[in-house]
Amino acid sequence: MMERLDRRQGLLAALPITALLAVSFLAPLLLVALFSIMPQKVFSVLNMPDFSSFGVIVSQGYYRSLFWSLSMAFAATVILLVVCWPLAYGMAKVFGRFSLVLTIAVVMTLFVSENIRLFGWVLTLMKGGLIEGYMRSYLGAGPDGMLYNVPIIVFGLVYVYFPFMLFPLAQGISMVPDDARQAATDLGATRWQVFREIDLPLAAPGILVGSLLSFVLAAGAMAESKLLGGQVVIVLADDVETAFTFGQNWPLGSALAMVLIILVGTVAVVGLSRVDLDTIMGRKR
Amino acid sequence: MAAPIILRLKGVKKKFGDFTALHGIDLEIEEGEFFTIVGPSGSGKSTIIRLLVGMDDLTEGEISLRGNRIDQVPANLRPTCMVFQSLALFPHRSVGENIEFPLKIRGVAPAQRKERAIELLDLLRLPREFYGKRIQQCSGGEKQRVALARALAFDPEILFFDEPLSALDYRLRKTLEKELKDLHERTGKTFVYITHSLEEAMVMSDRIAIMRAGRFEQIATADEIYARPVSRFVAEFMGEVNLFDVHGTPNGGLVGKGIELHVNGVARDYGLDLGPEARFTMMVRPESLRFLPAGETADIILQGVLTAQYALGSRIQYNVETASGVQITVEKLREDAFGGGIGDAVVLGFDIDSTHLIGGE
Amino acid sequence: MRASRSTRVALLVYGIVVIFLLYLPLISVGFASISKARYLSFPIRTYATKWYGEALASSTVIELFNTSLKIAVIVTAVSMIVGFFGALAFARYQWRYRPLFQKLILLPIFFPQTVLGLALLIWFNTIGIVPTWKTAVVAHLVWIAPIATLVIAIRAYGFDPALEEAARDLGASTFAILREVTLPLLMPGIISAGLFAFLLSWGNFPLSLFTTGADSTLPEWLYAKMVSGYSPLVPTLGILSVLGSFVIIAVAFTLRWMVKGRQAE
Repeated sequence: MMERLDRRQGLLAALPITALLAVSFLAPLLLVALFSIMPQKVFSVLNMPDFSSFGVIVSQGYYRSLFWSLSMAFAATVILLVVCWPLAYGMAKVFGRFSLVLTIAVVMTLFVSENIRLFGWVLTLMKGGLIEGYMRSYLGAGPDGMLYNVPIIVFGLVYVYFPFMLFPLAQGISMVPDDARQAATDLGATRWQVFREIDLPLAAPGILVGSLLSFVLAAGAMAESKLLGGQVVIVLADDVETAFTFGQNWPLGSALAMVLIILVGTVAVVGLSRVDLDTIMGRKR
Repeated sequence: MAAPIILRLKGVKKKFGDFTALHGIDLEIEEGEFFTIVGPSGSGKSTIIRLLVGMDDLTEGEISLRGNRIDQVPANLRPTCMVFQSLALFPHRSVGENIEFPLKIRGVAPAQRKERAIELLDLLRLPREFYGKRIQQCSGGEKQRVALARALAFDPEILFFDEPLSALDYRLRKTLEKELKDLHERTGKTFVYITHSLEEAMVMSDRIAIMRAGRFEQIATADEIYARPVSRFVAEFMGEVNLFDVHGTPNGGLVGKGIELHVNGVARDYGLDLGPEARFTMMVRPESLRFLPAGETADIILQGVLTAQYALGSRIQYNVETASGVQITVEKLREDAFGGGIGDAVVLGFDIDSTHLIGGE
Repeated sequence: MRASRSTRVALLVYGIVVIFLLYLPLISVGFASISKARYLSFPIRTYATKWYGEALASSTVIELFNTSLKIAVIVTAVSMIVGFFGALAFARYQWRYRPLFQKLILLPIFFPQTVLGLALLIWFNTIGIVPTWKTAVVAHLVWIAPIATLVIAIRAYGFDPALEEAARDLGASTFAILREVTLPLLMPGIISAGLFAFLLSWGNFPLSLFTTGADSTLPEWLYAKMVSGYSPLVPTLGILSVLGSFVIIAVAFTLRWMVKGRQAE
């Protein structure tokens, strides 16, 4: 009896948000997909489909921006894993009360528009900015040229997507049972062996979710390269925007968007199918 | 009896902030012994084992293994290991991989590891097919054996157990208690076992230490503890007993408090000073009491009313209340069941030889 | 095997350094906002609050705040309602398409927001809706309602289904159970979800950028000024926007503290 009720209520409860997403998420995506196979520079999907946009992507060298987007996202993800691990470990296993402080401090940054935070880095790092300016006035000279290069864009990505790696990782590490770590130590494992044999495999769902989120979001990011990178490299999201706005070429923009969506979507779907969402979100068994 | 001492604790003290969990305890455990530490929760028995395996640091004192101090050695370098209360089997590894873990850590070649794992499966009487089985597919008893096999693969000098049987059902626990005792005999290793159940301790142990509030109350063999508990706490810890407050009389006898208990010229030597001012607790086990039919007699006779009776499997328990309100518990085997009904006046008797006197209180 | 003292201290120091780095850019913005010079350069010679005065007197700024606030309030209200039901479907009820539904909820969160904004732009164009701040509400909802759902779902996972079953056993109707048992128990989650929704909407710009039409939100205006030409008002409005967020957080925590205090009595 209860089961049948669950089924009906589940469907009913899912209805409002499903309807919202169907009309304002799935439908627009379908439209983008349709536009991507339209001839160049049309503004309606009622034309004869051709695949000219994808030809343009190859011939005009748009794969370069794709390369930059993906490789910078990858670099940012790897750096985030290394940078976040010790902190996530501390939050899950060591800190106690300080974990809460850290969580609140990190979550609060999410509520500040990312462009304000990136702009803050520009003010901090630019010539005549916080670091260079004060160093020049006290030491006579300061570091120049900290902005407008690829590493600083990666730094921006690491900075902006920090919470998206930290929290899943901390959740993953908290799922590693203490007694398994203690037993491994008791059986002679060194700290490094405990990390490799116990922590890493048992925290895998958290590592996967954190890496997926960071990679996917960084691959579609634009503000970092625009504000910190000064467009030293063009990223894919940039090209999409240009095609839609200045280029007034919706089919090209849609095709570029589709490339990003398909690549990133595949990574996300394959990755997500490997984790049990119910467990990682804290279902009690 | 003169086996060498393998583990020695000297003045071991542990404080957590203001709370003292262990008050400077001393202990010597002999090579090859099955030694059990028993105590209620919060008595400090888990603290001891955490100190012994190196999961916590002691505040004061020394722990030495075969004469070498180990209290400052990190957990992973101590030649001892533990079977956890939760078993702590690695959920992401198969049965075989769990057993092989300590060997892998030492860099033993895969072929030799497997060989040893198979030997251990045999030793623990687990089928060899279990080698590739997932931990989640094992039953409670099988997990127990895998945890034991993993600990034995480590080849520890001493094997510690932190209440590994407490989560199991009664029957399985009884079976595994016997298996563990048997395994102890076959491997000849020193086992140090922690439990809250004295009954469990008695089945397996060579010697038992009873803990209370961070100190040892009594360390002795099972028989000794059963027959001659040193304190009221130990006596009560063993389960249902009758304890009577008594004091000595000038002529060397005993008088009960609130109970018609007069013993003159006690023949038996309790090894206690039976002076007139001395106060004692007299312990009588429920099975040592008899319902006396008219005409029969005993060293000590009590009169009361039967207030309740309970069936306890093979035995039946009776509650009797004396005129002065003292509660007495009697147990009889089913075949010797007492015929009376609730509310009947009864006469109980027991002999001096079946009592034990505890000094002090 | 508790972490040794040195590990503990090292991790703690690391955590504090990370927090400092997370807030360093905001410190820079804060300093910049009280610099008197029109063209900012560190070290700051003279401090002044004149840009704040100018900002608060400007009708454009009031307009920007108004638009951002309208959008955030509506997004919050809708997200709380839709998210409540969504969370039940996500975490509580066992129904056939639950795994599929869970992925549908996660998809927009994983989606590049710029692309989403542009997709919505051509969608509104195609179905003949002129983008205004109202279309931006829809755009924000696509990303924020799923997040609200997840926030409430975390609470719903910890919820014992036996409570609902007991209520049913005691004769409550489906609607009564929802009102008397489920809703009150999930309330803390719903309130946090509302807080998240408001703050994320308030600070969002990639979605607003293409969907507000002629209207403009505060982050959108800031982004436009940052990319093309500097205005001394950028740090000032940035700080005002951040203060707006923190005021909301402070109010939320004070309310929570007051409610807790009353319950404790």
